[in-house]
Amino acid sequence: MNTPQQNGGLRCSEVLADLSAYCDGELSGSRRAAIEAHVRACPDCARFGGAFAATLRALREQLSAPADVPADVAARLAAALRRSRTG
Amino acid sequence: MTSDTPTDHELLTAAAGGDAAAFEVFVVRHRGAVYRYVHSLTKNVTDAEDVLQQTFLAAWRAAADARVEHGARPFLFTIARHALHRLHRSHVLITEDTVSLEELGSRAGFAAPHVTAERLAQAVEERAILAAAIEDLPPLEREVLQMRDLDGLSGDQVAAALGIGLEAMKSRLHRARLRLVAEVRRRVPTEDCL
Repeated sequence: MNTPQQNGGLRCSEVLADLSAYCDGELSGSRRAAIEAHVRACPDCARFGGAFAATLRALREQLSAPADVPADVAARLAAALRRSRTG
Repeated sequence: MTSDTPTDHELLTAAAGGDAAAFEVFVVRHRGAVYRYVHSLTKNVTDAEDVLQQTFLAAWRAAADARVEHGARPFLFTIARHALHRLHRSHVLITEDTVSLEELGSRAGFAAPHVTAERLAQAVEERAILAAAIEDLPPLEREVLQMRDLDGLSGDQVAAALGIGLEAMKSRLHRARLRLVAEVRRRVPTEDCL
């Protein structure tokens, strides 16, 4: 897979290096097209790219909303802020 | 304040004028994210709470000068990061490792045609697996992943908060994501990957 195999004018290792930029929409149109051409012809990169994208998607969907702080932590934070304003 | 849901900028502007109630709304809005950030780096509730308090005390004092037109998280994370470094905890001040991108990719299943990508995709749907995988990332990678992918900061905002250039941030983020896939893969039973 990351051997000298070339599809879409790219090696697998170049696809690996650009995966994040691809998922973040940061690639130029021509680079994006080259990646997509490679992936269409390379089942291994297609599988790995799919797993990589699925991981990012799950990360954002499942864990993006932070829980609030524990109630005792919130109370002490509020008290510290009150002290700073009155002190 | 000009609407039912005031912006961070409106809240801090009001706070700068002494409006404690506005600052309380601001604190409630962001305290969970700041606490998650500092706790993920310290893994210590006492230190995390200490830094949380330092962060919002500093934010209150700096409210008049804060640049938060695009949201307050970069402002708050920058303060928190400085406070974390002042703790001088060795487990927080970790340098970047030197594992190559290809090696990270290999650990994540790249160049492993036998890996069951479908099983990996299934595994990341399990919140506990994903959360545990994040916990095992090196602190610098956990930090960039959290800011960019969990808190949704832009690339420029993350780079500014980390005090590094945009390209360095992107490189660190990509390594973090690959290592996350590797950590998830490590948690998939071997027989499922063969």
